[in-house]
Amino acid sequence: MADVKIGVYICHCGLNIAGVVNVEEVARYAGTLPNVVVSRDYRYMCSDPGQDLIKKDIKELGLNRVVVASCSPRMHEPTFRKACQDAGLNPYLYEHANIREHCSWPHATEKKRATEKAKDLVRAAVRRVYWHEALEVKEVPVNPNVLVVGGGIAGIQAALDIADGGKKVYMVERDPSIGGHMIQLDRTFPTLDCSECILTPKMTDVGHHPNIELMTSSEVEEVSGYIGNFKVKVRKKPRYVDLDKCNSCGDCAKACPVEVPDEFEMNLHMRKAAYLPLPQAVPAAFAIDKRGISSCRIACPAGVNAHGYVALISQGKFKEALELVRRTMPFAGVLGRVCTHPCELDCERGKLDESISIRALKRFVADYELRVGREKATPIERTKEDKVAVIGSGPAGLACAYDLIREGYAITVFEALPQAGGLLSYGIPDYRLPKEVVDNDISYIQELGVEIKTKTPVKNLTEIFNQGYKAIFLGTGAGVSQKMGIPGEETKGVIHSLDFLRMVNSGVEMKLGSRVAVIGGGNAAIDAARAALRLGAKEVAIVYRRSQVEMPAIRTEIEEAEREGIKFHSLAAPAKILSKDGQLSAVECIRMELGEPDASGRRRPVPIKGSEFTMNVDNCVIAIGQAVDKTMLPKELDYTGWGTLEVDPVTLQTNIDSVFAGGDLVSGPADVVAAVAAGKEAAISIDRYLRGISLTEERQITPKKVEKVSTEGVKPKARAAMPLLQISERKGSFAEVEQGFDEKTAIEEAKRCLNCGVCSECFECVKVCEQEAINHEMKEETVEIEVGSAILATGYDQFDPSVITHYGYKKYDNVLTGLEFERITCAGGPTQGQIQLKDGREPESVAIVHCVGSRDKNYHEYCSRVCCMYGLKYAELIKEFTKAEVYEFYIDMRCFGEAYEEFYQHVSEMGVNFIRGKVAKITDQAITEEEKGKLVAVAEDTLLGKIVRVPVDMVILCAALQARSDASEVASRFTIGQRGDKFFLETHPKLAPVNTATDGVFIAGCCEAPRDIPDTVAQASAAASKALSLISKGKVTTEAAVSHVDETICHGCGRCEEICTFHAPTIISKNGGVVSSINEALCKGCGACAVVCPTGAISIRHFNMQEIESLVDGLLEVYHG
Amino acid sequence: MSLEDIIQETKTYYCLECGKCTSVCPVAKYDPAFSPRMMIENALLGFENDLIFNRELFSCLTCYTCQQRCPSDVDFPVFIRKARAMAQDNGQHGICAHSGQLQSLARLMTSLDIKQRRLEWLSDEYRTSDDSDVLFWVGCAPYFEPIFEDIEFNALDITKASLKTLNLLGIEPKLLPNEKCCGHDALWTGDIETFKKLAEHNATQIKEAGVKKIIFSCPEGYRTFKLDYPNYGFDVGCELQHISEFLAERIEKDGLKFNEVKKKVTYQDPCRLGRHLGVYDAPRKILESIPGIELVEMQYSRWDSICCGTSAWTNCDSCSNMLRAERLSEATATGAETLITCCPKCQTHFRCAMIDKGEEKRSMPNIEIMDLANLVASAMGD
Repeated sequence: MADVKIGVYICHCGLNIAGVVNVEEVARYAGTLPNVVVSRDYRYMCSDPGQDLIKKDIKELGLNRVVVASCSPRMHEPTFRKACQDAGLNPYLYEHANIREHCSWPHATEKKRATEKAKDLVRAAVRRVYWHEALEVKEVPVNPNVLVVGGGIAGIQAALDIADGGKKVYMVERDPSIGGHMIQLDRTFPTLDCSECILTPKMTDVGHHPNIELMTSSEVEEVSGYIGNFKVKVRKKPRYVDLDKCNSCGDCAKACPVEVPDEFEMNLHMRKAAYLPLPQAVPAAFAIDKRGISSCRIACPAGVNAHGYVALISQGKFKEALELVRRTMPFAGVLGRVCTHPCELDCERGKLDESISIRALKRFVADYELRVGREKATPIERTKEDKVAVIGSGPAGLACAYDLIREGYAITVFEALPQAGGLLSYGIPDYRLPKEVVDNDISYIQELGVEIKTKTPVKNLTEIFNQGYKAIFLGTGAGVSQKMGIPGEETKGVIHSLDFLRMVNSGVEMKLGSRVAVIGGGNAAIDAARAALRLGAKEVAIVYRRSQVEMPAIRTEIEEAEREGIKFHSLAAPAKILSKDGQLSAVECIRMELGEPDASGRRRPVPIKGSEFTMNVDNCVIAIGQAVDKTMLPKELDYTGWGTLEVDPVTLQTNIDSVFAGGDLVSGPADVVAAVAAGKEAAISIDRYLRGISLTEERQITPKKVEKVSTEGVKPKARAAMPLLQISERKGSFAEVEQGFDEKTAIEEAKRCLNCGVCSECFECVKVCEQEAINHEMKEETVEIEVGSAILATGYDQFDPSVITHYGYKKYDNVLTGLEFERITCAGGPTQGQIQLKDGREPESVAIVHCVGSRDKNYHEYCSRVCCMYGLKYAELIKEFTKAEVYEFYIDMRCFGEAYEEFYQHVSEMGVNFIRGKVAKITDQAITEEEKGKLVAVAEDTLLGKIVRVPVDMVILCAALQARSDASEVASRFTIGQRGDKFFLETHPKLAPVNTATDGVFIAGCCEAPRDIPDTVAQASAAASKALSLISKGKVTTEAAVSHVDETICHGCGRCEEICTFHAPTIISKNGGVVSSINEALCKGCGACAVVCPTGAISIRHFNMQEIESLVDGLLEVYHG
Repeated sequence: MSLEDIIQETKTYYCLECGKCTSVCPVAKYDPAFSPRMMIENALLGFENDLIFNRELFSCLTCYTCQQRCPSDVDFPVFIRKARAMAQDNGQHGICAHSGQLQSLARLMTSLDIKQRRLEWLSDEYRTSDDSDVLFWVGCAPYFEPIFEDIEFNALDITKASLKTLNLLGIEPKLLPNEKCCGHDALWTGDIETFKKLAEHNATQIKEAGVKKIIFSCPEGYRTFKLDYPNYGFDVGCELQHISEFLAERIEKDGLKFNEVKKKVTYQDPCRLGRHLGVYDAPRKILESIPGIELVEMQYSRWDSICCGTSAWTNCDSCSNMLRAERLSEATATGAETLITCCPKCQTHFRCAMIDKGEEKRSMPNIEIMDLANLVASAMGD
């Protein structure tokens, strides 16, 4: 490159440089460097005459490289590049040396050395410019659509400016209505305009604007592309209300049984799960708040909507609650009594204090129906040709029949015994499950059209199929008692539990002796023991081989048995039955100890040698287990090694395609709710089988559990106790022990529910909505939009002052945050605008505490900028509407805006007390008579130098404004920076306040820093004008000094793709291999990819190895000719 | 060190003059003449004499309450310490309790050829080993015994209980026969020269001992070793633990169990262990692990707790006694029978207040007071 001709220009920058650096000497020196054909110094190179010097030399001397040594390139590199371009020289053949910030300023006291350093810097620039190449700048078109994120005042203003300018705006708002924090405010300082009055028209404008597409309940999920051409994925959460159909009548909210704290009212008030987000909501439609499926619903094996019926009971809607239970299964009365209630074990309230008494509430609605009388159920219309036979009328069979008849099939249930119900009728004694309760649940099933044929045993399945049944459900249970296999088990007086309970439940006269032993620890054992007591036995003892805590029976049943006087011999097992005259006389037992854990995880009982003891008894009931009676079942079915029926675990299909089975027959002895669940599962399979569709596809859908349950403000309250029959009244009587709740107790208990999932899906809203606007089936969707620019207006979070424990927020009722006070003074708020304490009294004195979480290194160092003014506003309102004394505790009053100082004076005139001092603590510990019953604000009045204790009724904490809790995720999604305080970072605090590190992404409002409404609106308009000017230009130039891949070297390792914050490199397939490809529009030329590139395939144009090395060599005075 | 240096080092220039320091200050509560804010203000305005010739300079408890609440993170206790050093340079030695004998003792110990009989109390009952890599720091306890005889407090009981506990856990620690005062009180009264001499001596001794860990029963020694020695360039190069931290670690890692002691207790957080070093949980963990112990917190506890009223044996006036009365009322209000603490000085001051024949005697509540080490030893007995 022999014909390189360099021109060097040294700027004086007035005396900024020339005052320290000997510029003439530097210029002379530069003239001696190789390839330099001209070197000059001038007073202001950036001035027009300065620039003209360069232009003239390019033209006249044929310069093809230019170096200017002046100030920061950030300031004037573009200026001189432009000058070169004007003179016909490619702007990338220019090089800049900074001899002001890097030289004259820091070395102001050492002039000689500064001059030497300036020479070094110039020499380095000359070396480097030699290698510069001409680069071409590319242009890309700009998509004219704009994305606005956030629907507060900033977003609203920006969107309207752009839309009014005729361009399309997509506004994405996370909440179901726009309005942001401003719509929560009562009045705005210093003019005291009503916030609603000035904002609502703008909100409505957004809602109706033809150029604005409003996406509420939506969040930006992913952003790709670059300035002018962004692709944005927006996740739209379902509202469950059709915006076009809803006319905001509010019937759904009236019908909705779920009450949760209202976020818009700062949780000072309750709202329904179906709710209007705020009175002036835009869009003006209700929304349904679903946060997942409550734990109780997920826990229920039968899938009963426990949350739903509990919510309905809390509102006194007992009939509706029962309907909701029956939407899933028919046994409200039965399972309301005997369910093992997994729902209660998982109940979230249980983590707080005690779980909700869910089972008892279900029972309550069933009892309520029995009490008020039930209308006969309307038979289900038969819509399907096929007939299904159910064999066995226990809970599994009836649950299956119930679900199938509701699908429109004809159902016949075959029962061998005279009574339907299986173990419900023959196993569980009346004191636990009265017969009329079973009968009521079963007759409901019959009324729907299920035909139950009792005394009709089925021996042969073919016979059934011959009668035209297309499918069979087998639910015949595990009806034989297991034997102990010990000597004397057949002795007269020994009876097995199922036989015993069957006789008890059929009302067969039984003569028991006065001493009865029951062997076993399950529910059947407890049932037998308690029944024996009721039949007149004087002493009843339970013998169980493990320890009492390991008994599988329901805990409350064991406790009641103990209370009734039943003795427990745990860690003992019968070894021999002794008899006298052919009649049982005693049971010989042996003591056990616990050994190693067995397959069930429980420790195996091992007999202790020589520990035998004898119990003298008249009767012995053996209740050690039940088994399937194979003799009653068709031979062609397959069985497991346990003697139970073999079925597919998901579909419950047996080895015969058209035969399905469930309940104890399959599982072995289990509880009622498990049997119901199996019956329901089989019903799904049978329906699918008969309709000829896959039995397995999309069968097991995992429900979305509630992620975080809100327990804020929930006061501990014990669960309602179940009233029990007096012990003395239980002997000789099978009257029900548990008495059930009365209405008041039921409602109170139901109100303890935390409403974890918020909407309980009781569907009461659907029933009342005349517009048919509600659709609970709505699904979340992701839409992709294309925009040319984006404005982030995501606002702020209020600092939570409860972390400053000595201010007593959330500890004392009348310590409020600013936003809470806004709602209290608002006419539409929870107190209709009455400034009052929690107990409804008007405060006599109020303390307003400034800088809570602001100007405090423990929380936020910055000033939140609005608190002084809103603190003054509160003082004004309190003075205007109450007789209270007001104390403002401030450090400095910052009233800097238009008419702000005047407002401060106005408030001072009203007689507000200003105390200069930060509050040390708020306490309710009175030390004088005057302080009793008050909150005391303790501070130093720093102007008096005196510690003051000010007793007040109400304290308002001017809580800081802080960055949104998810600001970091949003920043990374849009690839923009954040400051240490997490607010979004602008490109330049003065000259580019709405620009960000990503071109085409602008910021406005409090997401950038705390600010008041006037500043926010101004900034929003500024961001809008940035977006509009981009659209108006129609195209953008991209940086030419970007990274470049030498595809002959690259082997597509992907490290560049991983490191790049701007997503510029992508690994692509090319010519049978993989290589990195750079999207030049996204590349910022930062060089991170070149650094990590292991092969050296990536270089940065304008900053290639040769250029950098020459620069460094130049600095080190090593010259490679 | 000049006033300007102090301001720079303690970041006093950040002061917003909000007065939070003064309004949370336990001294200012009883002594209206004492104002941390005013002291800072005087310093910032360059009124050096108003700062160092102020007799209130020696009233600060250096309890760290102000520093913890300060929105500007001004390190007022260190500011006070440095200002006291300036005062000392100007011949101002402040008001020292006990006729300054405890300060004299520290200064005496700086003498190179002083012969101490500091381990004479050590009997065969306690097992120690010169080969151990764990050192137990005895501290000033042997000297306290004759001084505080009148208040029926023998600080050596704490030392002995700690040794017994360590022995029961299989540790036979090393004790230094030529250990000297850690220098805590000299440092906080502004006698930097004495502090440096003592620190240098101790650091050398410990390095020569070649141990891996030092266990302290005194929070002041612990703080001094942990923060002040390194700050003044004396590195002892081993792990440091307060005995409560050591025991809490044993409970957590090795499942250390205690015998039952039936007692309702409350706990006084020593300023040095609590606010200075942030050790709040370890002593509570131990108390909760002893079966039969019921811990009831006072109205102000942990970072919020109130100082025993004096530090570094400086000004112990009626204000100090009012603080003690306040704290002891809080302790008795819990219904606890015993006040547990981890600092021999807390114990000295509370005991002194309760035995005092002075004016406050009539309103001074009474409660048994005991060091945590003694409670632990009784819960570990054979």
